[in-house]
Amino acid sequence: MSRNRLTKKQKTSIQHWTLVIGMLVVALIYIYPVLLMIMNSVKSFREVLLNVLALPSAFAFENYTYVIEKMEYFRLFLNNFVITMIGIVGIVAISSIAAYILDRRKTRYTKLLYILIITPMLIPFQTIMITLLKTMSTIGLSGSTWGLGIQYWGFGVPMAVFIYYNFMKTVPHEIDESALIDGAATFRAFRSIIFPLLQPVTATVIVLDVMWIWNDFLLPLLMVNGAPSTRTLVLAAYNFVGQLNTKWHYALAAMVLAILPSVIFFILLQKYIIEGVVAGSIKG
Amino acid sequence: MQKVNRGKLRAVASRETILYTLPALVLVALTIYVPFVLSGYYSLTEWNGIAKEPVFIGFENFKNIFAGNPAFLSALWFTTKYAFFFIILSNIGALTLAVALTRKYRLANTLRGMFFVPYIMSMTIVGFIWKFIFTQGFAKLAEFTGWGIWNLSWLGDANIAFWSVVIVGVWQSLGFYIVLYIAGLQAVPPDVLEAAQIDGANGRQRFFKVILPLLGPSITTCIFMSLTNSLKVFDIILALTKGGPGGATYSATLEIYREAFQNNNYGLGSAKAIIFFVIVLVITQLVLRFFERREVDL
Amino acid sequence: MKKLVSLALAIAMLLSLVTIASAADQVTINMFISQPEYADAVRALIDAYKEIAPDVTINYETTQNDYPTLLKTKINAGECPDIFSTTSGKEIGVYLEYSYNFADEPAAAAMQDSVRAVMMSGDEVHGFALKSNYFGIVYNKAIFDEVGITEFPTTTDAMIAACEKIAAAGYQPFSTGFAEWWVYKHVFQHFLNAASDNPAELVSKFIAGEAKIKDYPILYDNFFNFLDLAVQYGDAKPLETDLASEESAIGIGKAAMILGQGAWVEADIMNIDPEFQLGFNGYPVSDDPADCKVVSGSDQALRIYKDSKVLSSVLDFVNWWYTSDYGKNWFCDVAGVIPPLKDVKAPDMEVIKQGDALSATVGAGPVSVSYSTDSFHQAFGEILQAYVGGTLTKDEACAQIEQKWVELEGGN
Repeated sequence: MSRNRLTKKQKTSIQHWTLVIGMLVVALIYIYPVLLMIMNSVKSFREVLLNVLALPSAFAFENYTYVIEKMEYFRLFLNNFVITMIGIVGIVAISSIAAYILDRRKTRYTKLLYILIITPMLIPFQTIMITLLKTMSTIGLSGSTWGLGIQYWGFGVPMAVFIYYNFMKTVPHEIDESALIDGAATFRAFRSIIFPLLQPVTATVIVLDVMWIWNDFLLPLLMVNGAPSTRTLVLAAYNFVGQLNTKWHYALAAMVLAILPSVIFFILLQKYIIEGVVAGSIKG
Repeated sequence: MQKVNRGKLRAVASRETILYTLPALVLVALTIYVPFVLSGYYSLTEWNGIAKEPVFIGFENFKNIFAGNPAFLSALWFTTKYAFFFIILSNIGALTLAVALTRKYRLANTLRGMFFVPYIMSMTIVGFIWKFIFTQGFAKLAEFTGWGIWNLSWLGDANIAFWSVVIVGVWQSLGFYIVLYIAGLQAVPPDVLEAAQIDGANGRQRFFKVILPLLGPSITTCIFMSLTNSLKVFDIILALTKGGPGGATYSATLEIYREAFQNNNYGLGSAKAIIFFVIVLVITQLVLRFFERREVDL
Repeated sequence: MKKLVSLALAIAMLLSLVTIASAADQVTINMFISQPEYADAVRALIDAYKEIAPDVTINYETTQNDYPTLLKTKINAGECPDIFSTTSGKEIGVYLEYSYNFADEPAAAAMQDSVRAVMMSGDEVHGFALKSNYFGIVYNKAIFDEVGITEFPTTTDAMIAACEKIAAAGYQPFSTGFAEWWVYKHVFQHFLNAASDNPAELVSKFIAGEAKIKDYPILYDNFFNFLDLAVQYGDAKPLETDLASEESAIGIGKAAMILGQGAWVEADIMNIDPEFQLGFNGYPVSDDPADCKVVSGSDQALRIYKDSKVLSSVLDFVNWWYTSDYGKNWFCDVAGVIPPLKDVKAPDMEVIKQGDALSATVGAGPVSVSYSTDSFHQAFGEILQAYVGGTLTKDEACAQIEQKWVELEGGN
């Protein structure tokens, strides 16, 4: 073992650190446009128009205070919260058990049902906009935050069922059978045994759907844009975007404020995913 | 205990099957199928979206499309090209990054967040920022490096604009697929990996022979989702090029939207939507069946 | 974790219930319009009205993206707003079934004649305006002075000469904004006005398929030559410049003239450079200086829903807006726009001052963009983008434009 050759440990260590630094560089380049957005949200309007790529000369935090007041930030934050909360709980509850049944009980009916439930993912939203508002208006789900939350059940279930269904295959059937032999009804078996095993998937669905619902634009625009009591953060942020006179510094600040809660949520939940999986694998 | 209870079990089972899947079906029917069928009615009419009474014209709209509607056909071709590159780039990119992000190091969490943020950014802002990057940012890069590639008209040249759309499309949604692949990677049992390592398999062999097959469901999910999302591509094009320059970057859904809402021809737009839906349905069914067969083999 | 989830859900449901319980026996007017850049001003207006009529609540909603789509969706769901936006001129007819004729109201009489003219269908008045507008070339007087252009070039030859002088001095003559579809319609209308004494009738002929662009040299030659000139003396990548780039280019002193704009850019330009010396004039469309006119009028219209349940309250509001002291001064003092009313003071802005002066001497052209709807104009913009980008020849572009006029505007 000459002094010039690295030990195996040193090699792995170098590899490891190269990876970390490499990833950091890649991530920074990747996220550069987002940094641009944040940078420009603290510039004055004049500076934004002059050079989007330059660093701000002074931090115009008044953009944020102005926007918070104009948007009625805290009121709309609550609206977002209500809509997202109702949407997520419904989507997870409905999709997880539906996917469980569809995977475990393979009959002609359930196979057809599965296709019926996931096919809507193929239908572009734009093609149903007009008739959607008509339908929702007729059954009373338009114009309120809880109504919108329920609508998200319908829109979120296809993808959630698809994701749950595909992961359900990795849960061995022996677990079901042992639970059922113990005399548990299907729902009890699902709730106490199967569902906890699906934690990583549930966390994934929650993360993806919270991101989607919290930051959604077109559906809330149709359904709840009418009054501040029902409007969402992203809708309010768009009020700063006109065709001829967009106040970019306000629009960007508003956008940052609108998506910030969901980003924080994502970072927090990411930690939870890791902890949950580690705990699960220790339990065996 | 056997015969009688099995019959009862079956009855309970089928009642339960209906009970637990009914909410999903009803919701999906109400929010999507009903509006879709209703808008299907409009495909048999000529209607500008405003007048109180649409005019019934039977299958005229469909005849128009099958006779060769150049705008629709070029939009379909654009969508096909876009979907092809999007699926390949997204999946390879997301899987590579997911593998790099599931190693254990302190920054992993933060890095994951960084890759995911673009996914939640509003489209208008994405379009605004990338427009500046493509125009002014690249111009500055051209000054710095002297490379001609930065000086091309990324948004102004009809052929290059396609690549700009692909780049921004992949950039924006990569985080989505990374999250899915990470979930799949974390579900790989570590003891299987250890066993392979003990057997003497190196990194690459471990990946291709052990991890990749176990990722089956993840890959199916991601390919399917990237397929449907790329076929439906709309928001990113609207934000970045609005279908320009000169109408060169219209995807199928954007074309349908233009026909229905901009050209005030909702009837024709609905007809195009139905035809497009059928095309997408056929493609995704084929893809799904292909992947399901592969999974069974594994 | 489970407890946290149920707690959060309970809070969410409770909150949503609270928001429901706030209706009262108020009159509610639903106002859904475009032009969100005036949101602050409109809110101030609504607040002022609230003091006059406390039992009237106005739900103000505004958006620019997808406005027409949203409006159609609402109308078809049976939720037509009491006040909504369309473009003026042709689109008055498109939404005629839904709008109210208020010809007998004081508001109709208070409008400037030129504004009212594009709000009418026959003898009926169906729209009112948030502002009147000026369209033309905005230019940098300092650059013009520096290179020795003392008079604004009002003929084609003079413009070409001016461009050469400006380019020789190291400035960029034009910033074109050709990435925006609406720039083309704003430029085209000046040529349309010069091509005929009755531009409205000319456009009707195109829509009926009875006219060809080739038959009108000012359109076939002059307009396209002007586009070529703009590309030649304009931005390096013409199809990439949008409104923000135009304002930036002229504001920092790089470009001498910007195309397809009007009164609305002044505030932003002055923001970039408070010392900017703004010049404003028409487009030199031919060899006749008399053809170089600015365009004045209103291309946007606000409409009143005919079957509104609160029609009388809406009319009260609109009449107050147009005839009360607060309302009349609102245009200038609060919104900073050109009032569409007679005998009301206008803001102290260069475009307005110079536009008024030019209108008094040379005259101003009508807002011919309003003779077609935005459906056509968007297609028009796309076709011309393809021409500028080189994927369509002039004849192909003309053929497509003529076809679109018939296809998109013919039925309405």
